[in-house]
Amino acid sequence: MSENGLAYELQRVSFAYHPDHPVLHEITLDIPSGSWVSLVGPNGCGKSTLAKLLGGLLAVNGGEIWVEGTRLDRDTVARLRPRIGMVFQNPDNQFIGATVEEDIAFGLEGRCLPREQMVERVKEYAEKMQIGHLLSKHPADLSGGQKQRVAVASILAMEPGIIIFDEASSMLDEKARGELLAILEEMQGSGNYTMVSITHDADEILASDRAIVLGGGSVVADLSPAELFEDGALLDSCRLIAPYRIRLKHAIRTRGLELPKELKLERG
Amino acid sequence: MSIDFEQVSFAYDEHSLWRNSALEQISLHLETGVFAGIAGASGSGKSTLMQHFNGILKPTEGKLRVLDVTMQAGDKAPPLRELRRRVGLVFQFPEQQLFEDTVEKDICFGPLNFGCTPDEAKQRARRALSLVGLDDSFLPRNPFHLSGGQMRKVAIASVLAMEPDIIALDEPAATLDPQSRSELASMLSRLHREEGKTVLVVTHRMEEILPFADQWIVMEDGHKSFQGSVKELVQEAGRLQASGLAIPDCIRYWNEVAAHYGLEEEEPCLTAESLADRLAVLSDQVGNAVTPLPKEEAPLGLETSREGDG
Repeated sequence: MSENGLAYELQRVSFAYHPDHPVLHEITLDIPSGSWVSLVGPNGCGKSTLAKLLGGLLAVNGGEIWVEGTRLDRDTVARLRPRIGMVFQNPDNQFIGATVEEDIAFGLEGRCLPREQMVERVKEYAEKMQIGHLLSKHPADLSGGQKQRVAVASILAMEPGIIIFDEASSMLDEKARGELLAILEEMQGSGNYTMVSITHDADEILASDRAIVLGGGSVVADLSPAELFEDGALLDSCRLIAPYRIRLKHAIRTRGLELPKELKLERG
Repeated sequence: MSIDFEQVSFAYDEHSLWRNSALEQISLHLETGVFAGIAGASGSGKSTLMQHFNGILKPTEGKLRVLDVTMQAGDKAPPLRELRRRVGLVFQFPEQQLFEDTVEKDICFGPLNFGCTPDEAKQRARRALSLVGLDDSFLPRNPFHLSGGQMRKVAIASVLAMEPDIIALDEPAATLDPQSRSELASMLSRLHREEGKTVLVVTHRMEEILPFADQWIVMEDGHKSFQGSVKELVQEAGRLQASGLAIPDCIRYWNEVAAHYGLEEEEPCLTAESLADRLAVLSDQVGNAVTPLPKEEAPLGLETSREGDG
């Protein structure tokens, strides 16, 4: 961890894939170590681009990114990358191994972990993601949701300090999404991870510490998730929809009513 | 015209040691003109089922009929060109269906291949693009320079441009933002209501399709565990759990309200607005059933799962 307790410091970060289409413009923000930040905004606002910059997969055109007190550049990227795990939307693009077990072990082999420790870790994280029974399967034999859990397990097994989730839950079914959310909450509770999640999932955003809203290549709001879901105009601008229980409460209140006490609206 | 499955089974790598059974003895009947939702846990066979609708996969046992084409296990495949035109399939990762260097060329590819003139194809491209909520400025752009969500919309447009009779979508909205997802569901409902299209949607987010779908199929381990109307699905919500799915909040709350006020036989209200309207009517009828708020309204607190949020 850096001396100032920050996992990330972004100073006037700009990026464009093509000069005519700037994607991010002078973004300045801090992400404290151990915090969980949601990056939200409409499709095409630059969320995934920012995630790739944070992960060192793209280099800034302007400004600076500091990771745990070290400036991210050509000289430091190889040293900083092992600290950062990334989980993407489409798990197919992330598969390397011929079996689930090999896939989870791949990154650990690269780190030259002793074999016993590697076997132990693969088992531990596979069980955490409830894929322990799939270890001998070929990735192509898995369903989309199972594949995504393998991808998350293979990143967690590397035990990075920072994890960036780019729509990692979007392909999961509702139940699996709930399970992944519980894992994210547990990870946050452990205090061992800084998490940046790009997500449209209302429950995931509400569980995080802070929502950073991107729009037109800039940060348009930086607020608590609860504040975000109270702000109808902001929700519209980042094209989010509040969870059903919150919408129902609003709908009942706007009709001047309240629910009988026996009926409780809680996260399922 | 309809879609009929008779005892259809399908196994991947059928003749190898890795034989992997994905569908088991599925029988189902869907009239054309329905809007059907297909739900099921990961790995339950939804995508495999979907790929039978236009003959990408053919049954390894049993028989199926889509429109006027019959496919029977063991028989030589019938000509499928016409079926492919009439049944548009949007895959789980529709952006993988893109390959041209402009959005316009990509969307025109299908219509041109099925005999449209270039002008006709371009017209269709504009219409399809507007259906998915993108304007004409996207036409000359390179699809691979778009964001993930925009690529997905373009891929859906390229299927809509073929003007299929049956539109089958496999989790088409997974990575779209929630408002785009809701707009996509409304757009599909419009195509269903106004143009009589048959719409089949595999979804992990039942809540978004529930207000529109008139039929539901639930898959579990390669079997069909449920087929019926929305009302039946709501009344038998426990089956969703038995099939490894979470019960959507809108169904859970309706069932709680229905049990509380004895509304079980009513058509369920599955949107926040319709349920609130129903509760307002109840409060007028029963007076004390739903408590009116005291004059000074307390601020609405958001319930989140953990303490200290917000």
